[in-house]
Amino acid sequence: MATSAVPTERAISVTVNGTTYDREVEARKLLIHFLRDDLDLTGSHIGCDTGNCGACSVIVDGTLVKSCMLLAVQADGARVETVEGLAAGDELSKLQQAFTAHHALQCGYCTPGMLMSATALLRANPSPSDDEIRKALQGNICRCTGYWNIFEAVKAAAE
Amino acid sequence: MLLREVAYAKPESLAEALEILAADDGARALAGGQTLINVMKARAGSPDTLVDLSGLDDLKGIELGADGTLELGAMTTYSEIIASSEARARPILGEVCAQIADVQVRNRGTIGGNACTNDPTNHLPPLLAALGARFTIAGRGGEQTVPAEEFFLGVYLTAVGTGELLTKITIPAGRNDGFAAVTLGVDGTCVVSAAASLNGSARLALGCVDAVPVVLSPSSTDPDAVRQAVRDTALDPPSDVHASSDYRRHLAEVLAVRAIEQAQRS
Amino acid sequence: MTSTTIAPEKTEQQQEEWKGQNVPRKEDWRLVQGQGVFVDDVKRHGMGYIHFVRSPYAHAHITSIDVSKAEEHPAVYGTLTGEEVAALTDPFFQISSVPGANVKDYALAVGKVRFVGEPIVAVVAETREAARDASELVEIEYEPLDAITDARHARDEGVPTIHEDAGGNLMWEGVYEWGDLDAAFAEADKVVKIDELHFHRFNSTPLECDGALVEYNRGVGQWTIHTNNQFPGFAAIMMGPAMRVGLDKLRFVTQDIGGGFGNKITSHPQLVACCLLARKLNRPVQWTEWRTDFHLSMSHGNERWFLETEVAVKNDGTLLGFRTKALDDAGAYLRYEPLGGVIWAQVTPGMYKWQHVRVDFTQVATNKAPVSPNRGYSRMQHLWFTERMIDIVAHELGLDPVEVRKRNFIKAEDMPYTTPNGCVYDSGDYAKMLDIALELVEYERLAGRRAEAAAAGKLLGVGIGSTLDSGTNNFGQSRLINPELQFSGNNEVATVKLDIFGEIVVTLGTTPQGQSHETTASQVVADILKCSIEDVHVRSGHDSYWNSHAGFSGTYASQFAVTGLGAVKGATEMLRDEILKLAGVVFGGVPAEALELAGGGVRMKENHEAFLPFMACGAIINANNAGLPEDLDVTLNCRYVYRPPFEVPDVERKYGNLTLTYAAQIHVAVIEIDPETGSYDIVDYAAVDDCGKRINPQIVEGQVMGATAQALGAAVHESFVYDEDGNLLTPNFYDYHVPHALDMPPLKTGYIESPSPFTSLGTKGMGEGGGAGIHAVCAAVQDALREHGGAIVWDSSNPYHRVWEMLNDPSKGAHVQVSEA
Ligand SMILES: Cc1cc2nc3c(=O)[nH]c(=O)nc-3n(C[C@H](O)[C@H](O)[C@H](O)COP(=O)(O)OP(=O)(O)OC[C@H]3O[C@@H](n4cnc5c(N)ncnc54)[C@H](O)[C@@H]3O)c2cc1C
Ligand code: FES
Ligand code: FES
Repeated sequence: MATSAVPTERAISVTVNGTTYDREVEARKLLIHFLRDDLDLTGSHIGCDTGNCGACSVIVDGTLVKSCMLLAVQADGARVETVEGLAAGDELSKLQQAFTAHHALQCGYCTPGMLMSATALLRANPSPSDDEIRKALQGNICRCTGYWNIFEAVKAAAE
Repeated sequence: MLLREVAYAKPESLAEALEILAADDGARALAGGQTLINVMKARAGSPDTLVDLSGLDDLKGIELGADGTLELGAMTTYSEIIASSEARARPILGEVCAQIADVQVRNRGTIGGNACTNDPTNHLPPLLAALGARFTIAGRGGEQTVPAEEFFLGVYLTAVGTGELLTKITIPAGRNDGFAAVTLGVDGTCVVSAAASLNGSARLALGCVDAVPVVLSPSSTDPDAVRQAVRDTALDPPSDVHASSDYRRHLAEVLAVRAIEQAQRS
Repeated sequence: MTSTTIAPEKTEQQQEEWKGQNVPRKEDWRLVQGQGVFVDDVKRHGMGYIHFVRSPYAHAHITSIDVSKAEEHPAVYGTLTGEEVAALTDPFFQISSVPGANVKDYALAVGKVRFVGEPIVAVVAETREAARDASELVEIEYEPLDAITDARHARDEGVPTIHEDAGGNLMWEGVYEWGDLDAAFAEADKVVKIDELHFHRFNSTPLECDGALVEYNRGVGQWTIHTNNQFPGFAAIMMGPAMRVGLDKLRFVTQDIGGGFGNKITSHPQLVACCLLARKLNRPVQWTEWRTDFHLSMSHGNERWFLETEVAVKNDGTLLGFRTKALDDAGAYLRYEPLGGVIWAQVTPGMYKWQHVRVDFTQVATNKAPVSPNRGYSRMQHLWFTERMIDIVAHELGLDPVEVRKRNFIKAEDMPYTTPNGCVYDSGDYAKMLDIALELVEYERLAGRRAEAAAAGKLLGVGIGSTLDSGTNNFGQSRLINPELQFSGNNEVATVKLDIFGEIVVTLGTTPQGQSHETTASQVVADILKCSIEDVHVRSGHDSYWNSHAGFSGTYASQFAVTGLGAVKGATEMLRDEILKLAGVVFGGVPAEALELAGGGVRMKENHEAFLPFMACGAIINANNAGLPEDLDVTLNCRYVYRPPFEVPDVERKYGNLTLTYAAQIHVAVIEIDPETGSYDIVDYAAVDDCGKRINPQIVEGQVMGATAQALGAAVHESFVYDEDGNLLTPNFYDYHVPHALDMPPLKTGYIESPSPFTSLGTKGMGEGGGAGIHAVCAAVQDALREHGGAIVWDSSNPYHRVWEMLNDPSKGAHVQVSEA
């Protein structure tokens, strides 16, 4: 084990969807496990163990990341946005509405990550081209839909 | 998933980082984490301590010198390179970075991490080798700068020794560059890659055909000469589930020609 | 990005119906907000996390297991070993007749490991991380054995035996012969012989892996199993006898499932381990399967060889008959197998009029992950084979693949059509579908496009692929595998009730994984009760305590639109009749015929003022029932079991109707190959579907798209490849490349509707037909290579390196001989 005095646990403070959580965590804990297991925010999912699938995508300080490749301790002091924060009360976001209208989800397991990627895209680029939409979603695997309806939904939300 | 227990430090200066690294043989730098965290998930590697480099301003930023030389801090992310107007001095950099993985990975993965990983399938080692990049390594004893040929030593092995850090990558001025790859799916993992730079003489680097990028200088940019130059290196590429050795050897020739052609057009 | 759609012309006036409309899905509200409840979201106080110690060897004796160090880990609650499992449970019931029947399969490896990734020990700890830490402290010694990874050599002299109890590596074999093969080959002008064809291993890799949270109620001896198993009825039948308990002791609960595609049917071994641990440790236990675990150990699709195939054909392309030796690689255990050895027979002749067929089917064990159903289960393999035969015959005889298909298609006027083995194709018009598909890709422009591609240095190829998505199994077909089995027919249940405030509440026996059952069920109910779908509450998920499941309940094998909705329709009609009866009494003895449902209640046809809302009906029966006539048999809580009309098949002749409906798919792929690298792009793609009446066209189209994407992934990159030592070389999404957004070609879709005469709604099961994409890509690759060496595509997996190999050396393709008969 570590010979230095560097600790394996840390107290962190993370703001998720506007709520600040102060927790003691092991350094080895991934942000996705922190969100799902410690904070019970189970909307973000896990679909792989190699960083390929994007089911765990969240926005950290304005940047889209896969929360399975970030330690919870690295999010200390950060502002995290997850799928649970997309709707305003009972009002679904434009993207959420478009996903429903265009049947852009089947099992819904990839959907939270997909929505976060699309949200990040539309923030940076409110009227993306078809190619830009595809490129923005490349890091999110969906095994149910074949993506075509997802492209349509993002396009519709952008318009 | 589920990493082994690990200690975590987030130093605020390069000196502090080097000190922590020097104090513990089992300490490893954590850059974007887009490789290292996955290695730790698989428990294929388990550092004792992670030294998070994200607080080190010395390792950040892109500078364009008056002579067109580019200096990229090791912690510069692919997304930052793609968005940087300075980096556009060498357009191939942004173009290739935009082909790496996906938005999320590009937002976190760093040029330094990519080079230090030296995974044969990574895009940047052959590109940096072709561009004649130089790598600045800092240790407690001071700094040294090495060319690609001395930097990439083996799979997951570079000139960055225990207790050292790659701080920046310097790319000389130039414009006529190309990159070609056969990948698993569109913009996926490289099966074979080739990077070319025609600034002055032709310089080629091949990826995924050996433990390190294979650098060669064909006598001319004529396709036959390029193919011959690749053949002359007597490659013995690895076979795996994505390609046989023969296929890789063949692709190396094809992609070398294509990289050169792109460089000529650019 | 845009997709073109060809739809049939509307013939009849669209009625005011929910059915047939693209109503938004009821499931979406929770799912787009991250409020679904997937198995890994379920938590219990004090639960322990399970980590399985898995085999690093493909084949080895286990000489010792020592868990003492793991048990000493401060965060560990306990462990479970194969030895304990063997003492506490019986081996799982085997579907196979001998020799497969003799295989002993337990929840954990007992004495021996048979594939890399096989669970050997389970460790339970306070945290996920600690469970894994402690599992590294388990000491296991092995005596490695040679591995068998190539099914073709599984029965060679001197190879090691995987299951000693079975006396060899043969698991099951059977000969299927229908018609008169000798006559067919005598009548033929030509015989086309194909030495070897190979259908590769892959599966649909649902984005969510398997998992469970299991609680044990010591007081009543009952387990509550929160799991994403997609066929709890089957899991229960496997688990109950093994655990020596009645099925009522196993309560299966699920809400949302992150994709299944058949791959979540055979998690019963792990579920048994969870149950034993929950009881042993007296605490809830939780198991999350990670991606690599899933790839290593769960539900690979059937890998199949077709050896020494012979096709009898006339010079004009008329197909008379074929014979082949099908060799199925079951992997290390028979967890649903050898059912794959008969399921293919549902579609024996594909879409064609072959009359004379012989298939010598053999299934062997290998040291690879066990196979189990994967979308298109066993039919996909066989249909790939029939399509391969067509394209090889066309190639060898210099005929147009379109013409060969059209010449041999079963025609619309032949429907219902009885196949040589007694299956009855209910309806369809394959020629018309092919025309639509060809029109979508502008087939007539093809020569021009080929030339344009050639000018750009590319090889253009076009390929057709068809599938029949046979839905609603007759489980009697299991008797063709093992005559001793007492299964036949099929069933599904639904309950529909009117609650005290008039709420319409529906429960289903199914376990949907994205198939939108809540939505389509509410459409069917709303049409019958003349209300809005908003008024219909379909319970999410499945709970075997709801009395709403039957022996074959679950979501698999393309059957919900038939069995599930058939049950919903039946139960809702019962409820409607009860409401009418009750209202008749309330209105003072009005006959039911004088009443009708409308606007959320019952009214007199002649006097709309006389109206009894559902709320009043619910209240009267449930809470205000004094004075009702004694003989009024109305509960407003109706349960209906839908039972499709099936006979037990003739076991001797292997003859009978094995499925109820046949949805059909025809896909056309246009590809461009880069001849220098073998890499290729799908530049145009059409998918035409016919699944009878479409309850919700958008949902149907979603299934078509998803299945197509999976097929294209499987055709190009997705493959479970093993090395000679039995190591899986594609154990995660890094090496097992599934298509992502940039990989998707432009898609054009079309459909026709041929209502099934055999189902109450005219629907057909659908969702599994996507395999057509694999067949189409194979045909397109072969077409593109025609003028460039003419290699014959022999494998269903065609990654770039294989295409390059065939370009580089055409002898790397299938070996085909044509002889004059
Ligand atoms: C799904 C996925 C797909 C990918 N596809 C590609 C691809 O197609 N092409 C490609 O090129 N890459 C690909 N990658 C890898 C990605 O580019 C990584 O970001 C990169 O390999 C490592 O960079 P990093 O900043 O994330 O480094 P880290 O993962 O943090 O570190 C990697 C290694 O480098 C060391 N290191 C990092 N920085 C320094 C430094 N400054 N000094 C000394 N040592 C250092 C670390 O100690 C570690 O050993 C992919 C990654 C994922 C998750
Ligand atoms: S779980 Fe994070 S990328 Fe798959
Ligand atoms: S909807 Fe199931 S994975 Fe995307």
